[in-house]
Amino acid sequence: MSLLIDARTLHTKGNLIGMVKRMTIASIKGIVKRYKDQIALDYVDLDIHEGEVLGLLGPNGAGKTTLIQCLMGIIPFDKGAIHLFGEEGAVFNHVNKKKMGLVTQEITVFEELTAKENLEFFAGVYGLKGEEKKQRVKEALEFVGLSSKAKQSPNKFSGGMKRRLNIACALTHRPKLLIMDEPTVGIDPQSRNHILDAVRKLKEQGTTILYTTHYMEEVQSIATRVVIVDQGQVISEGTVDELIKNIQHEEKIFIDVNDVSTIPIERLQGLEGVKQVQVSGSVVQIISNAGAGNLDRALSIVKETSGVVGIQAEKPNLEDVFLTLTGKQLRDGEDDPS
Amino acid sequence: MRELATIRFIGIRMSRDFITMLLLLVVPIILITVFSIILGEVEGHTGTPIRDETVVLLVLGFQLFGGAITMNYVHQDLFAERKDRLLSLPMNTRLYGFTIMLAGIVYSIVLGMILIAYTTIVFDVNWGNFIWALLVITLMSSLSSIVCLVFTFSVKNFKIAERLSEVYGVGMILLAGMFFPMPDNALINTFNDYVNPLMLAYSSIDQVRDGGLSDGFLYAVLLSVIIIIAFGLLLLTGRRRMP
Ligand SMILES: Nc1ncnc2c1ncn2[C@@H]1O[C@H](COP(=O)(O)OP(=O)(O)O)[C@@H](O)[C@H]1O
Ligand SMILES: [Mg+2]
Repeated sequence: MSLLIDARTLHTKGNLIGMVKRMTIASIKGIVKRYKDQIALDYVDLDIHEGEVLGLLGPNGAGKTTLIQCLMGIIPFDKGAIHLFGEEGAVFNHVNKKKMGLVTQEITVFEELTAKENLEFFAGVYGLKGEEKKQRVKEALEFVGLSSKAKQSPNKFSGGMKRRLNIACALTHRPKLLIMDEPTVGIDPQSRNHILDAVRKLKEQGTTILYTTHYMEEVQSIATRVVIVDQGQVISEGTVDELIKNIQHEEKIFIDVNDVSTIPIERLQGLEGVKQVQVSGSVVQIISNAGAGNLDRALSIVKETSGVVGIQAEKPNLEDVFLTLTGKQLRDGEDDPS
Repeated sequence: MRELATIRFIGIRMSRDFITMLLLLVVPIILITVFSIILGEVEGHTGTPIRDETVVLLVLGFQLFGGAITMNYVHQDLFAERKDRLLSLPMNTRLYGFTIMLAGIVYSIVLGMILIAYTTIVFDVNWGNFIWALLVITLMSSLSSIVCLVFTFSVKNFKIAERLSEVYGVGMILLAGMFFPMPDNALINTFNDYVNPLMLAYSSIDQVRDGGLSDGFLYAVLLSVIIIIAFGLLLLTGRRRMP
């Protein structure tokens, strides 16, 4: 874990310097979206800066897709305003839509068309013609590694190949702003790495990317900035390092015990500086202010009632940022994607 | 006009839609073949071979269902799984929906032409004037797509819209008395004479076949009036529901 974070630190700092004074490509101000009795977006503010890969991290149902639907003018919203490419007024016009590309969360390619025909459809709608269209379709196929499958129909594709075609459909017109809604859900690690590499390449080419996911590993590996959403609200934002630093004043203690049922959770919670105590399997997890010296105290309390099998203290990651901010896990019971 | 240009891809999609092809082309071919063999050369009381009557009615009857593909594609692309993607594109979604409708109409016309060719070549069915038959098929195909879209736009649940479109097709066929004779009821008779598109289309082809050009023309005009009314409903319901 610590290795990963160190590598990220270097990566992010490089990008940060380049990011200064870049234009705001999209600006979301105080958006509210209600569905009957439910609030899907609750006064969301969000700026997307030119050239960044903005990771929008949040659990299922947080409002990520809804936010994207508002941003692309797909659904109306109840309150707030959206500005695109620094313009005021009518934003969801064809000129602006041509500068944007949407990779939908669902796979929305045409099953009856070949991979190439799918790309030709979208390239055509974006106004590309003739030789240029041909070239862009070819490039997009190469970019996602589907050149050899150009003439095949996606219903013969694996999940990962479909996802890659789904992405390619949003690339032929070379959007300034590419919006990717959970582009790696449910695919094999190889396709996943291919997609993450593709995102890095697009960024190098100057594409601004809004990347939503509920996998924090993805955000840690590609995002230059992160916005964490939960229950329709932005709960934190910053670079990965900034977010972690904000909760660095905490430490996490794991104690693996023989008999979890005997542990006096309330006493642990009552210790000075302890913020949260959770039990998962046979492990008692304690989040506490850094430097509170709770490791010793917690251990002795646990030892009174149960044998200790193992003990570990860990540096925080984005998962912990989320846990600290919301009191819940980013992914509940879902398997690690990699 | 980029929207209209997508008709090429919509057409390709439809042509590879094997289930629809099975239902709207293979099934009628089988039915026509069976009926033609059973009916042979028997002449009806009007002098027209019963086979000619039945086969023409069958082909026209299947046109009642041609709009299924239109409503399906409009639903998929603009109301269901592909909605977000297509709404994110720089195009007018209403014009795109209209393009799907055009493609669906052409698709059904092509199937109708294949059936006309098959029945003429294999069973020597007399369609009268081919151009006229084609025109009537075009009217039927247009009406079916329009009616199916009206259903799509006027009920929230697409499954129900699909059922309604089937009720429309089967209902007209039943009222036309194709499966069993309808009771001699004034209301039903009037409906068949002036409203039932299947009967209007059949009468139009039948009249022209027997040299009654002006009557044949009149039936086509009646059918067109129904199309215009349905199109008005389409604009009304579409304005409300189209994204
Ligand atoms: N069309 C809709 N009708 C009613 N509720 C909706 C609709 N779309 C989304 N929601 C609700 O809004 C919330 C946010 O959903 P969504 O934006 O899809 O979350 P995410 O993409 O982060 O998983 C969820 O609670 C979801 O149930
Ligand atoms: Mg989502």
